[in-house]
Amino acid sequence: MISFRKVSLIYPNSSSTVFDDVTFEVGEGEFVLLIGATGMGKSSALKLMNGLVPHHTGGILGGDIQVGGISTRTVRPGELAHLIGIVGQNPIHGFVTDIVEEEIAFAMESLAIDESAMRKRVEEVLDLLALTPLRRRTITSLSGGEQQRVAIAAALVMNPRILLLDEPTSALDPVAAEEVLSILQRIVHDLGVTVVIAEHRLERVIHYAERVIYIASDGSVRVGSPEEVMRSAEIAPPIVELARALGWEEMPLSVRDARRVGAKNINLGEPSPLKALHGEGEAVVEIKRASLGYPSRQVIKELTCTISSGEIVALMGRNGSGKSTLLKSIAGLAEVFSGEIKVADRDPKSLSGHELIELIGYVPQEPADLLYGESVAEECALADHDNKLKPGATLDLAQRLLPEINPATHPRDLSEGQRLILVLAIVLTTSPRLLILDEPTRGLDYQSKERLISILRERVATDSSAVLLATHDVELVAELAERVLFIADGELVSDGEVREVLTASLPFAPQVSKIFAPSKWLTVSEVIDALQK
Amino acid sequence: MALRFIAVIVAIRMIIAVLIGVPIPGTNLFTLPTLSLPDWIAGIRIGGPVTIERLLSTLGEVMIIVGVVALFAAATSLASPHRSIRALPLAFYQLGLILTIATSIFPQLVASIKRIRLARRMRGVEAGGLRNWRKIAMPLLEDALERSLDLSAAMESRGFGQRIKRTSYRPDSWGILESSILFSAAISAASATVLAESSLTMVISGGLAGVVALIPLSAREKTYVENSREFDGVLS
Repeated sequence: MISFRKVSLIYPNSSSTVFDDVTFEVGEGEFVLLIGATGMGKSSALKLMNGLVPHHTGGILGGDIQVGGISTRTVRPGELAHLIGIVGQNPIHGFVTDIVEEEIAFAMESLAIDESAMRKRVEEVLDLLALTPLRRRTITSLSGGEQQRVAIAAALVMNPRILLLDEPTSALDPVAAEEVLSILQRIVHDLGVTVVIAEHRLERVIHYAERVIYIASDGSVRVGSPEEVMRSAEIAPPIVELARALGWEEMPLSVRDARRVGAKNINLGEPSPLKALHGEGEAVVEIKRASLGYPSRQVIKELTCTISSGEIVALMGRNGSGKSTLLKSIAGLAEVFSGEIKVADRDPKSLSGHELIELIGYVPQEPADLLYGESVAEECALADHDNKLKPGATLDLAQRLLPEINPATHPRDLSEGQRLILVLAIVLTTSPRLLILDEPTRGLDYQSKERLISILRERVATDSSAVLLATHDVELVAELAERVLFIADGELVSDGEVREVLTASLPFAPQVSKIFAPSKWLTVSEVIDALQK
Repeated sequence: MALRFIAVIVAIRMIIAVLIGVPIPGTNLFTLPTLSLPDWIAGIRIGGPVTIERLLSTLGEVMIIVGVVALFAAATSLASPHRSIRALPLAFYQLGLILTIATSIFPQLVASIKRIRLARRMRGVEAGGLRNWRKIAMPLLEDALERSLDLSAAMESRGFGQRIKRTSYRPDSWGILESSILFSAAISAASATVLAESSLTMVISGGLAGVVALIPLSAREKTYVENSREFDGVLS
């Protein structure tokens, strides 16, 4: 279906190749997973398949790519629209119209398909993706998962034989991600469509995949069955790490496999309870019966909680449950209707400038919003100036956190993970008492995640500070946090030790805990430690 | 929403009418102190006697403005820009689409500016001031450029511009709301031409058109509310 023959790619104004002499094939009706560290060219590989690279982006393509027997070199992406559907990383950026139905029909209108055929196809696709109840809604009023489904519907409506998706679940909570992935699996099985998805969070997708394209960090590309690739790949979900550490012969990819293969023979007992929460450090954040939101809509209702120094607290909940609003209010960026929020005994809204950043460090959902310099060095110099530090302090910290960073690079040219670390360095130079991170792991690979974990750990261990992060990444929470606040529909539904909260809900449970249920183990390293004792 | 907007228009116009205006003789209501102005703007007077005739004539003017605003609001509430480009002949479709997308960028830009200003605040720099414009403009432009590249890539890979001919998914229907707006527009046009001479009739005609236009408008008020909620969502 898709064949790459000796493909090399170099982008304009770049001195290094993205691909070098890559050859592989993808068969028809396969569920293919494309993996690799950030910046290794996963998005480029997808865009090569439908010709957006190099037709739309520029660049020099060597070798040949054939899709359904057509060489992408000779046709523009639009001419492949009936053959390939593509869903980008941010589907909301790619929507052309404002109503769900019309968005889905857009591609067919462009290709002048007649009205009755069009209506029939739209009905079919609406049913397939369970979008019928939403058909007349405006797209901006939908949740992230629903928007993702609309984007998939809009791509599927042309009856393509190939569907390409770039990180379809990275912005979604575990429940919505599961919904989208099971729909994709149905598309493969019922319609025989070849689905290729690029994804970082292997724990979410690996058990659906029938074939894996793995781009290693040296640029070489390997294609094989998931079991084969997972034996030696540098990136692996917790389940595979566990299997590798315990030396299991069969490589399990799903929780069921893992239990069957070996976990049922392991008797670990219960993990020892963690240290008691609260009461140790002094309170950094105090929230008393706070109702928060925007003039037209109240988002958080009467929430009360305290975060003490030395704590790493994860804020979890489904898309749209009010996580970002709560974080913004704590940083003094959103309205407090009633009740009060105090950070280190001060009202965050009354703080500004230097006082504010010494107390609160805030990393927004789009870390790039904080950056405006033309190189890493300039960025760091500006931060020194803003924070009234001695010149070079920020760059020192950035280089310590990210040794391979080149001060001359433009911040936009850094990979997602590197950019996050740069922003962290800028925010952390003032040693704020409270560090707030809003969805820090969107688009981060395992390596960058590990780096993030060690930076945050070191931070709370050495300083009398606290970290509060909102995330959908359950594995990160299992590794990093000690305490979880779970929000649903603007109310705090549970607040407790990470082990209790995560194992209590099925979609938010990490893989290890599912494997060893009913024992409450969370991470691979915990299990290994326990076995060694 | 629309009613509030109209009330503000009336209020502003009436206040200005009391303060500044061309003297019209008639029954004197009260007299404001006159501000003397230099000779070269002799036609304008600030303060002075306020007469019933003067207020009525201004009210007539205001009613015409209200009528126009109400009619436009009613018309736009029926058709989102996306819907109205469908009415364009195919030859203009691409141009129309470009304009529609360009206008839909504005709420996004507002949202981006807000986001970036918040981010600036969290870097310890207070927003505002001309010196900071670059620090907001840079990420804003990069953001906008990225979005438009994403959009054009998405449109291209969905076959946009592949065929010269296009089809339309759902031809727009002509309903009672559309008819009533056309009707009220006709009334106001007719009354404006027939009765334009006297100020009192102007009040009647403008007001009538406005009231007629308010009927479909209130039917669509719900949509306004929904839209403004969404807009809040974008900003949040």
